[in-house]
Order: sequence, then C-alpha cells, then structure tokens
Amino acid sequence: MSASDQARDKDVASFRTRLFTAMMLIVASLTALGLYLAQRKVTSDAERNLQKNFQGELSSLHKLEELRHAALADRCNALVAKSRIHAAIEDNAIDLLYPSAKDELRDLMEGEEPPPEQAAQSLHATFYRFLDGTGTVLKPPNPKEVGQMDAKAEAQLSLTKLPDTQQIGYLQEKVAADGGAVAEILAVPIFSTDTGEVISALVVGFKPFQPKQTEAGTGMKSGIWVNGQLLLPSLPRSAETSLSEKIANAVADSHRAENKFRVNVDGSPQLVFYKRLNPGSLFPPAYEICAYPLADSIAQLHRLRWQIGGAGALLLLGGFVASHLVALRFSAPVKKLALDSEQNRVRRKRAEAALASTAEELERSTRYSADASHQLKSPVTVLRVAIESLLAREDFKPEVYEELSALLHQTHRFTGVIDELLLLSRMDAGHLQIASTPVNLSQLIDEWLDDLGALPDSPDVKIEKEFPVGLFVAGERQYTSLIVQNLLENARKYNRPGGRIRVSAHANGSDVVLTIGNTGRTIPPGENIFERFHHNSTPSAVSGHGIGLNLARELARLHGGDLRLVRSEHDWTEFEVRFSAADGVNAVA
Amino acid sequence: MRLRVLLWCGAILPLLPVALPASTTVEGRVELPKSRSAPVQAKRYEIVTKGGVLSTQPPLAVIYLDGPFPQPASLPTKQVTQKDLTFIPALLPVRVGTKVEFPSLDDTYHNIFSYSPAKRFDLGRYRPDERPVPSQVFDKPGLVTLRCDIHEHMRGLILVLNTPYFVMTDTAGRFRLGGLPAGHYTLRAWIDSRTTREKPVDLKNGQTLHVDFP
Repeated sequence: MSASDQARDKDVASFRTRLFTAMMLIVASLTALGLYLAQRKVTSDAERNLQKNFQGELSSLHKLEELRHAALADRCNALVAKSRIHAAIEDNAIDLLYPSAKDELRDLMEGEEPPPEQAAQSLHATFYRFLDGTGTVLKPPNPKEVGQMDAKAEAQLSLTKLPDTQQIGYLQEKVAADGGAVAEILAVPIFSTDTGEVISALVVGFKPFQPKQTEAGTGMKSGIWVNGQLLLPSLPRSAETSLSEKIANAVADSHRAENKFRVNVDGSPQLVFYKRLNPGSLFPPAYEICAYPLADSIAQLHRLRWQIGGAGALLLLGGFVASHLVALRFSAPVKKLALDSEQNRVRRKRAEAALASTAEELERSTRYSADASHQLKSPVTVLRVAIESLLAREDFKPEVYEELSALLHQTHRFTGVIDELLLLSRMDAGHLQIASTPVNLSQLIDEWLDDLGALPDSPDVKIEKEFPVGLFVAGERQYTSLIVQNLLENARKYNRPGGRIRVSAHANGSDVVLTIGNTGRTIPPGENIFERFHHNSTPSAVSGHGIGLNLARELARLHGGDLRLVRSEHDWTEFEVRFSAADGVNAVA
Repeated sequence: MRLRVLLWCGAILPLLPVALPASTTVEGRVELPKSRSAPVQAKRYEIVTKGGVLSTQPPLAVIYLDGPFPQPASLPTKQVTQKDLTFIPALLPVRVGTKVEFPSLDDTYHNIFSYSPAKRFDLGRYRPDERPVPSQVFDKPGLVTLRCDIHEHMRGLILVLNTPYFVMTDTAGRFRLGGLPAGHYTLRAWIDSRTTREKPVDLKNGQTLHVDFP
C-alpha cells in the first residue's frame, strides 16, 4: 500500500468518526431533551393536580364561610334593630349588653355540637363576644352563656378599631400539649340605625371546617397557620414546628397571599400550598396549609426517567449501528472520489509537464530560427562582398561575369529569405509590434508595379489597374509593403508569357479589399499554399522558397485583416487581402 | 282630672320661688349649637343622637344652680307621656327624688326602659289603659335616656338634678332663673349629654345678675 493510499484511508476513517460523533451527539441531545420535557410535564401535571385539589379544599371552606357570614349579617341586623343593644352600648351599660343579646343569639350557642360532616350546614358557634367603640372585647358577665375561653384567647379577639366590614380571623385557643384547636372567628360590625355609624362589633367563633382527611388517598394533610403557629393535627409535633418555621419564612419572603413550596417533612418530600384565608383582615393573617406527599409523583418520575433513559439508550444503540452503516455507505463514494481525484491529479501533472516541455520547445525553436537567421546573414554578406569584388575585376571572360552576377542575385535572394525568416520568427515569438499609421495603399501598389516593370527578367505580361488614387489603410508601411510585394511578385513569377496581372482595390465599409489576379498555371485544389516552406507538388521552372505567402498572411492577420485565395481555375488565380481602412482618411480622400 | 291637677302643679311649682320677696335672679343667654333645621312652630322637640351625643332638636339648654340645698320631704310628681311614638317632653329636668309617671297616649304597646347609669329600669310592656300609670322615682343625679324596647327610634331624656333651682332656655338660648338664695354658687348650663358649661356666681339679695354662657 502506498503512502497516498494510507493517507486516504486515514481521511475516510476520520470522516467516518466525525459522522458517527455527530449522530451520537444528535441522539444524545434528543434523549436529554425528551427526558427534560417529560420530567417537566410530569412535575407540572402533578403540581397542577395538587393545586386543583387545594383549590377544591379552599372552595369548600369558602362556601361554609359565606354561609356563616350571611347568617351572621342577618343576626347583627336583627340585633341592631333592638333598642336594648343600642341602650347597652350607647348608655355604657355593657353589663346589660350580653343579657340583651342573649335571646337573639341563643340559637347560635344552643344545641349539641353537630357531627363534623354536617359542620358545613350548621351555624353552631362556640363563643361570641362584643367589641366596644375602641375595638376592645367587652367582658361578658356570665362567660358560660357566651362560650368560655381563657383570657389570652379572649384578648386575641380585640381589634385595633371597629371594623366597617366583616372580618375573618383564626384563633388558636387552648395551646396545650394536645396541639390545641383553631377557631374561625367572624367579626361583624353593628351599625347604629340612627346615625349609620359603627357602634360595636359582634365577634363569633366557630369550629373551622375540617376537610375529610381520607379523601382520594392522596395522603394530603391540611391545617391552618396562624400567628406563627401551625395546626396540622395529623403531623407529628416536631415536624409541625419545623414546617411552621418554613411557612413563616415563605410568608415573610414572598408577601404573596398564595404560593407553594417544596419541603422535606420527616424525610419525605412534600409540596406545601398555602393561601391566606383572610386577606385584608384586621385580624392576624391566617393561612390554609395543605401538604401533599410527593412520594407518588417522585416514584412516577423515577419510572418515567428509567423508561426514557432506556429508550434513549436503545436509540443510541440504534443510532450507533445506523451511523456505522451510513458511514460505510457514505465513505465508499468518498473513497472512490479520492481515488478519482488522485488519478486526475496525476493526469493533470502529466499534461502540465507536456505543456511546459512544448512551450520550452517552441521557445527554443523560435530562438533557434532567430539565431540561425543572424548566423546566416553574416556569411551571406561576406559572400556578396566577395562576389561584388570579383565583379569589379576586369580580367575575367564575359561568361564569368554572367555567372558572378547570377551568384550576386542569389545572395540578394538569400538575404531576402533570411529577412523573412527573421520576421516570421519574431512574429512567432510574439515580439513583433506594429505601429498603426495610415498607409497610402494606392501609392504603394504603383511603386511596386513600377519596380516589377524594371526587373530584367520581366515576362511579357499586361498589367491592369483598377483602384482609386489615395486609398489609405491602417498599418505599418513596411509590412503592408511586404504583403503587396509578395503578392505582386508571385503574380509575375507564376504568370505565363503574354498573360496579364489585374490589381484592383476598393474600400468596403471599414475594410479595404485588395484583389490581385494573374493568368498562368492554377493551384491544384487541396494544396496548402499558405503552409510554411511549402513547395509546389508539380515541378516548375520557377520556384519560391515557400515562406512568402505564409509571411504575407501572418502579417495581414497581424494587421487585423486576412489573406485568402479567392479562386484558381481556368488560367486565372486570384488572391484577396483585406486591410483595415485608415480612420477618416479614405472619406477625406 | 287628677292628671290635670298634677300637670298644673308641675307647671306652677318652678315659678314659686320667683314670687318670694328679697330673692335673687340670674338671667342671660346661652350660646346654643346651630340648629340643623328651622325652629319648629309647634314647639315639639325630639332627642337626636350624633356621635353618641344626645341633645334636643332644636337645641335647648337647662340652666341650674348647683349647691348644697336641703332635700324637701316631698316632691311633686312629673310626667313624660308617650304620644305619636315620641316622648313629651323630650327633655325633662327634675330634682333628685322626683317621681315621674310615663302615661301612654298611643293606641299601642310601649316598653319604656333605661340602661343609663343614673337610673336603670324597665317598665315592661303596657298599654295606654295600664293602671296605675307606670312610674319611676329618680333618686340619683344624672342624665337618664329613655327608650322604648318596641319602638327603637324613641328617645327621651330626663336630667336629674341635685337642686330645686333650674330652668329651660327658649330656643334662642335666653333664660331667667329667679328666687335664688344669696350666696356663692356654681351656675351650670346643660347643653347636651356631653356638654355642660359652668360659671361661679356670687348672689346677693335683691340683685339681678346677668350671666352669659358663650
């Protein structure tokens, strides 16, 4: 296994690990979320149920209270209609107050105490007292008739002022080893029928309504917290004291009339609800307390936690397997991808290397042709100078001169070929820059036609000219001239005796089109005459060196134009060159 | 007939000292609380309670001379009648030891009682034809509130005084108390159940003293 294979395997493995980790994380967080939500729901459901239960307790308590209030209000209205009550209060005959009220309130106190289940329907009071104008309890002359109570409890009935409305209070009486008992007290104002002022108040004590303890088996314990003391008979004494302290703290902290908190009583968790029973009362605040054991709901929560935890574990396991499978499936294409990309990389490297070597070769060949041209030029020059010096001598035979002058001509040709090669190699290397100026094409053609006519071996050809005077093209004069020269020389060179050459040029939009046609042997179709160093397939008397057309076309293209063979048939060969017209010049001309 | 005589006696007796020669007279005016309603022409008064204070309406005051005066052997009987569910008179000043009868002129039951510290009594329910007319002797000075157990709104006042010299003002507060013995005394003006004003007076024979209670 190669190093790259090992690296690839490592990559795939790490990809698999990452995928697996991500899936594990998702499954784990989902499980945790599920646990959290379920736990919250169970807790809130349990609390809502208990809260409902608590509200039920309270509402039954309130129903009784309302009954008692209404009944007592009736009594007080009746009492106040009695002159004797007024007389006793207004005439400071307090000792006569209780005897005067006795008849009216007799039914409150008389009769047997009803059994607890009928307490809600009964108005059986345990005691009653009147308050004087300052809110202080008026001592009854005969406590037996109005319900006996100790002085301490009696003092708790006093208010700081006479109430305007009914007041509810709770009183702890007989605080003894047995835990004591709580009395619900209702203070009802007595209004003077004369003035409407509150002249006294009647305070009546009842046994508070005790809800049935066995209900629904919730294990709920209810009691009353008043004046810093808790009365929850079904609770052990020590637990009662500690719970009482906690309630006192909760009440002092929150100042809310109703709330709940969790607490441990005797080692078992309980949810404790409390609600003020006498909001806004002049009597000390009293709270209904309901303590619900949370053991059931905690057990339920435990069960649920196990279930969800188990489900989560299963899910985790499933996720593990699934993620493994998925990772395997995923990693196969990844592996393939890695392999492919490796092959691609190799291929690309190879191509890049080939490209580099080709470019190098190209450059080398370009440089070579440039070097070669330079190297060639100097021996030719030496040769020409030598021939010219030979021609200057006068002691040769005439036929020797003829030979020498032919040789000289050949050196000129040679120099021309070398110049063209040099130009081509510069073009190939991309070194040739043209400075575009307006070039008078008409003048250029005329000059070259004159030169052609002056050549010694001019065949007998007729020249037809068909172009306006002062036709300007955009380009460099030297190269434009080279194009025209090449084409005209070819037209003369490949002509037949007695033939003709036609040169025409005209502006065509933004172009200038030059057409040069000549009679003579045609070019066979399929022959690439524009190829460098091309040679005629058929042997002929005249032959070129094979770079003229190539050079002309390259130059034409360099000038933004082109050179093409228009036709070559029936003793007629025609080339067409397109130049860019010089801006604005032709229009002026 | 006997009732008439008694009534007459009740009216004439307070005037007796005036007729005596060489006596002293005190006259003046008491500043009475503002009446809540216009003076009643029929001169019918009622007792009103305001903030636990009992007073007559329209306001009246009782002027009396306090001092150690010997108790007479017998005193004339007074009457407070019940008519149209009111006490008439609404306010009756009497000397300690006076017997007051409570005849009813209404065609209904009444049950006059008092829880006042000066006199507690309960006449029980009786009809107008009850004989003898229910009565009480008021043997302790002080204010006695009369009530009816059946008619809760009924109020009457009996002001039991330790002196034979007393008089009621008119509705303007003017009073004239004559036939007074010479000497140094305290003149008091009872205005309502909570308010009694007093002024020391030096009485000389044959003199008329002017005393105003602001």
